[in-house]
Amino acid sequence: MKKSLTKILTGMMIGTLLLTTAGCGGAAPATNSGSQGGGAAKIGVVAYMTGGGAAYGQSQKEGLDLAKDEINAQGKVKIDLVFEDSRGNNTEAINAVNKLINKDNVVGLIGPTLSGEMFAAGPIANQSGVPIMGTSTTAEGITDLGEYVFRNALPESSAVPQAVKKAVEKYNLKKVAVMYSSNNDWAVSGYKTMEKALKDNGVEIVTTETFADKDTDFSAQLTKISSLKPDAVMVSSLYQEAALVLKKAREIGITVPFVGTNGFNSPELIKIAGKAAEGAIVASPWYPGKENEKIKKFVADYKAKYNKVPDQFAAQSYDALYIYANALEKAGSSTDRKKLRDSLATIKDFQGVTGKFAFDDKRNPLMNATVLIVKDGQFTELK
Amino acid sequence: MDVLLNQYYLQIAIFVLLNAILGVSIYMTLSTGQLSLGNAGFMSIGAYTCAILTVKAGLPLYLAIPIGGIAASFMSIIIGFPALRLTGIYLAIATLGFGEVVRVIILNLKITNGALGISGIPTLGAKIGKVFSSLGFSQGIGGLTAQQTSNLMVLVVLILSLAFLVFFCTRLNRSRVGRAFAAIKADEAAAEAMGINTTYYKLLAFALGALIAGIAGGLSAHLTFFIGPKDFAYNRTVEILTFAVLGGSDLIIGPIVGALLLTLLPELLRSASEYRLMIYGALMVAMMAFRPQGLISEETVRFWKGKLGRRVKK
Repeated sequence: MKKSLTKILTGMMIGTLLLTTAGCGGAAPATNSGSQGGGAAKIGVVAYMTGGGAAYGQSQKEGLDLAKDEINAQGKVKIDLVFEDSRGNNTEAINAVNKLINKDNVVGLIGPTLSGEMFAAGPIANQSGVPIMGTSTTAEGITDLGEYVFRNALPESSAVPQAVKKAVEKYNLKKVAVMYSSNNDWAVSGYKTMEKALKDNGVEIVTTETFADKDTDFSAQLTKISSLKPDAVMVSSLYQEAALVLKKAREIGITVPFVGTNGFNSPELIKIAGKAAEGAIVASPWYPGKENEKIKKFVADYKAKYNKVPDQFAAQSYDALYIYANALEKAGSSTDRKKLRDSLATIKDFQGVTGKFAFDDKRNPLMNATVLIVKDGQFTELK
Repeated sequence: MDVLLNQYYLQIAIFVLLNAILGVSIYMTLSTGQLSLGNAGFMSIGAYTCAILTVKAGLPLYLAIPIGGIAASFMSIIIGFPALRLTGIYLAIATLGFGEVVRVIILNLKITNGALGISGIPTLGAKIGKVFSSLGFSQGIGGLTAQQTSNLMVLVVLILSLAFLVFFCTRLNRSRVGRAFAAIKADEAAAEAMGINTTYYKLLAFALGALIAGIAGGLSAHLTFFIGPKDFAYNRTVEILTFAVLGGSDLIIGPIVGALLLTLLPELLRSASEYRLMIYGALMVAMMAFRPQGLISEETVRFWKGKLGRRVKK
């Protein structure tokens, strides 16, 4: 009995020791960042950095870090980034946003990564009067959360219709089949826009099939689709499932084009599906192969720093920080949150790596997407 | 004072209390020795019922939250009849399966908005704030901002709920019902031989646990503005279970302390950034190695009582 108590006490002491050291650790980076220059504007970033979607958060962090170094080197405004991990969890996102606003006193926020997290954390930023900008939150209704909520992520409601329209024109589509992942909030939202876009273009939907994230067998759905002989198949899902759908479809002899939501927009799609990915169509704000000086420089710098081609998440975060820098410069203050919001809302004619950019009056981005098609194992512009 | 009223700390305190209530819900079923892993399922039933009632039917919160709890409790009775014939690991698997079934149903129903979840849920704080401004305190009380006041009020509501639950459970433990629970936990066969209706008491504990989980779900929906099926997957159940495992499930204070520690730790470790979850995991392993019965057991309490008592006598 006595022995077990000594054990508890040691256990508790180790616990407290760890806690206090962790607490001390918090103070050190703060002083560090202070020495960077008097008027540095603190921007908080909430990203999905550990867990299943860590790859997204990692890309965002890399894009932001690259942009920060460039902006600080140019010297018009100084920016400090404070990163917090949300683990893709709503409660964590709320805590992270609260911490950044009330403890770190950031002037503006970037993130969170997922639309669901934004629905939970956005209202907090809005209540506290801190501008928050999503760089990958594409679902419907994000900016309805309040007038401090922005996004530079091209919503599906704008990207999908562009892809559908182009495909309809190019391939003269009359009847199509639709497939989507019914347990993924973002994919369902994409499906709804797809359905509307098809209706607007006067295309008939012959069947709508659903599956779930992490499914691996799509033969039942695809056999049915194959028997209906559609002119094209529309798919709303993440790249993992999309790639497997493509593979299976080509295997059972469906050769028509596939049009996808943003989930198709990943090099991983081609990597997994291989030859089966040929003819996959997606609208993307980000296309690294474009003939543009700015994009070429960004791709080269990113490659030099991280040894890989930047993906959409990196590109949009990179642009997001430049948008903040522009707004900060116009606002003329590195601490006034209200001024920053107002000057963010007036951003127009901003030239970023994802193209020409402006906020509309609902703080959604006004930008053009490029419609891409997979040809010879590469995304190329569909003309 | 400013530090104490920082919204960040208030928010964490709110989540600590919410998790403590969930801890009590699992304590309730554990007090009859039943390991139920359906708490996330009951929580989601409570959360969705309550959110749908407030968002779509415009019901006031003070009605919607208890209704959510009752709905969860009602479901628990329906599934409890067949499930409670099972014991130990079999019951755990059956209830775990139940939680997943609930999640999939929610995913496919129209009224729950499927995977998109329900957003724009009115917050508890905003509701309380409205009551206050109608009473003429629109600027907050005593120099506090309106936001701080409403957060403080949420905190008070949660503290009161938790205090009531603790009071209820300690009273319950000393009653006929509580002794029956303890007897079943110690030895089910012997309890039955003594004339205790084990099915009835097990079902009662199960339904009470579900009621508390349902209420906690309703509260959580109105604290996080948004609920989706992902929030109530099985890892939520495991999280709730760890409160009881780490804190100890002998006494009601155990799961509460467990909830406190496990909610605070990830926040305290924020400065360690990427090492955060590693340290968290290592601490869990260390705790389990030193204290497999949980941090607080009856022995611990007896020891400290004895120690403090001696000091008083001197």
